[in-house]
Amino acid sequence: MKKRLTLTAKALLSLTLMAAFIIVFTCLGISFSFYLDMKEDYRRTAFSYTRTAADFINGDTIKKYYETGEKDDYYYTILDFLCSARKESNLKYYYVFIPFENDVVYIWDADNTENACDLGYHEPYLENGKKTAEGAFKKDPKEELTINRDAVYGFIASACSPVFDSSGEPVALVAVDMAMEGWIESLVMFISLEILNVLLVIIVSMVVLYFIMRRSVIRPIEVINAAAKDMVSALDSEEKTSIEIHTRDELEELAGSFNQMNDELRDYLIRLAAVTAEKERIGAELNVATQIQAAMLPSVFPPFPDRKEFDIYATMTPAKEVGGDFYDFFLIDDDHLAMLIADVSGKGVPAALFMVIAKTIIKNHAQLGEISPAKILMSANEQLCEGNQAELFVTVWLAVIELSTGKGKAANAGHEHPALCRRDGKFELIEYRHSPAVATMDGIRFKEHDFELYPGDKLFVYTDGVAEATDAHDCLYGTERMIDALNKDPAAGPAEMLSAVKASVDEFVGDAPQFDDLTMLGMVYYGPAK
Amino acid sequence: MTINKTLNENKLTVGIGGRLDTVTAPELEKELNDSLEGITDLVLDISELDYISSAGLRVLLSAQKTMNKQGSMTVTGANEAIMEIFDVTGFVDLLNIQ
Repeated sequence: MKKRLTLTAKALLSLTLMAAFIIVFTCLGISFSFYLDMKEDYRRTAFSYTRTAADFINGDTIKKYYETGEKDDYYYTILDFLCSARKESNLKYYYVFIPFENDVVYIWDADNTENACDLGYHEPYLENGKKTAEGAFKKDPKEELTINRDAVYGFIASACSPVFDSSGEPVALVAVDMAMEGWIESLVMFISLEILNVLLVIIVSMVVLYFIMRRSVIRPIEVINAAAKDMVSALDSEEKTSIEIHTRDELEELAGSFNQMNDELRDYLIRLAAVTAEKERIGAELNVATQIQAAMLPSVFPPFPDRKEFDIYATMTPAKEVGGDFYDFFLIDDDHLAMLIADVSGKGVPAALFMVIAKTIIKNHAQLGEISPAKILMSANEQLCEGNQAELFVTVWLAVIELSTGKGKAANAGHEHPALCRRDGKFELIEYRHSPAVATMDGIRFKEHDFELYPGDKLFVYTDGVAEATDAHDCLYGTERMIDALNKDPAAGPAEMLSAVKASVDEFVGDAPQFDDLTMLGMVYYGPAK
Repeated sequence: MTINKTLNENKLTVGIGGRLDTVTAPELEKELNDSLEGITDLVLDISELDYISSAGLRVLLSAQKTMNKQGSMTVTGANEAIMEIFDVTGFVDLLNIQ
C-alpha cells in the first residue's frame, strides 16, 4: 500500500482546517456584534445631541424666523450654541430645519464656513431623507439612526429630533450628521486584533492537541504497526515479545489483543511443529512400509530366466503409500506355475496389513503341494475368517497351470474377469460366475474351472483400480478401453502389454488423483520346453 | 452419499444414495453400527446408489454378518451396474438381494 498521508500529517491537516473554520466563524460573529454595538453607540451619541438642542430651542420662535427671515439676538445665541457644540464634539453637520412635502427649509446651520445654509434656504431631500424626517416629525418619534453613503457628504450617520412649540406640536427638526470614516478604521483594527488573538490561541491549542494526539494515538499505533511487521520474524526467537501500551482506551485493548494473538500463534506454531514432526515420522515409517510391501511382491524380471515355457510380468502402483492390491506367481513344483492377483477391500495401512496375511497364507497353502486353486482358497478362507475383526475381505483370481501341457485350473473369488488372447486373435474378457471373495464367510466352497493355453496365448489379469480408474468428470475407464489398449500391438510381450494399459489409463485419467491401487499381471505361454 | 433411515418397530429401512466408496463407507458403517441394536429386519434400499467399491461391499458384508446373528437383511433396488458388481464379486451368494 502506498501511504498518501501519514497519520501525523492527517492530524495536522485536520487541526489546521478546524482552526481556519473557527477563525472564520468567530470573526464573523464578533464583527457582527461589534457592528451592532458601534451602531448603538452612534445612535445614542447622535440622539443626545439632537434631543439636547431640541429641548434648548424655544419652538415658538421657529415660525417667526421662517416667515420673516429676520435674525434677532436669540437666533444668534442658538447659532453660537450649536456652533460651539459642533466644534467641541467634532460633529460633521449640526442644523435645524422644517421638513416640507418636497424639500426642507433651513433655520439654523452650525457651520462657520461660506458653505453654510442660511436661514430660509431650501434644499431637496437626500436619499431616505424624507422617510427619516417623516419618522422623526412626530409628537412621539422613533429614534432610529440612518446611515448613508453619499458622494457629497461622505459616509455619515444621521439622527433627527423634533422641536416642539408651546402647544406641544412639532415645528422643526434638529439634525446631526456624524462622520463614519473612523468607525470603519476601528472595525478593521478590531478584526485584525481579533484574528491575531484567535490565531494565537488556536496555534497554542493546536500544538498542545497535536502533542496529546501524538502521545495517545499516533505513537501507540506506530508501536503496534512495528510489532505487527516484526511479528513473524519475532516468532522464531526464543523470547516472547509483547507490546506495552497504557492509554486506557481501545488502543490498549488492541495492544492486548495483539499480544494475545501473538501468544496463541506461538503456541499454535509449537503444536504445529509437533504435529509436523509426528507426520514426518509416520511418513518415514510409511516409506519403509512401502518398500517392505514392494519387496514382498516378485519384482525381478524375468523371474525364471531358465524357463522357456512362458514369460510373465506384473506391476503394482498403490494409491496411498501402501496398498491392498497384490499379485504373486511361483512354481509349486517343476511343472506347475501358480499365478494370482488380489484386491483387499479398502486401502491404506489396514488393507496393506490384511494383504500381507492373505498373500502369505495363500502362498503357504499352494507351496504345500496343493494344485487345486479352489482348495487353496478354501483353506486360506478358513484361516482368514478367524479373528477377522475388521471384516476385511479379499478378491482373488488364482490359476495353476501345468507348463508341460498348458492345461490349468482357475478359481475366481469375486475378482475381475481375466482377459485372454488366443494366438493370432484378439483379447477378450472371459466371463463366468464367480465365487464370493475370500474371508467374507466361513466355509465357502470355491468353484474352479479348467482351461487350456496353447502356445502363443496371452493372459492379462488386473484389479478394479484399472477398470474403475476415474477421470476429472467421474467417468470410469472401463474394460473396453483396456481391451482396446491390449489389442493395439498384437506382438506385445507381457511388459509391453502392461505399459500399454498403464499409458492408456494415465492418458484417460489426466490430472485427476489416483483413487485405487492399480495392479496388473500379464503372461505369455510359449508351449512346452523342447 | 446420502443416508435415509426409517425405523418401524424392529424393522429398519436404510436408503443409500450416491457413491459408496472408500471415502463414504466409514460414514455408513458408523450409521449402521449405531442403529442395528435390537433390529430384526434390516432393509437396505440401494435404488439411488450409483457406485459401490470394495470398501462399500465390506460394510454390506459386515451388516450382513451382524444381521445373521439377530434377524435378517435384505438388499433391494440394485441397478444393473451394481448388480454386476455383486455378480462379479460373488456377493450374490452372500447377500439376500431382491
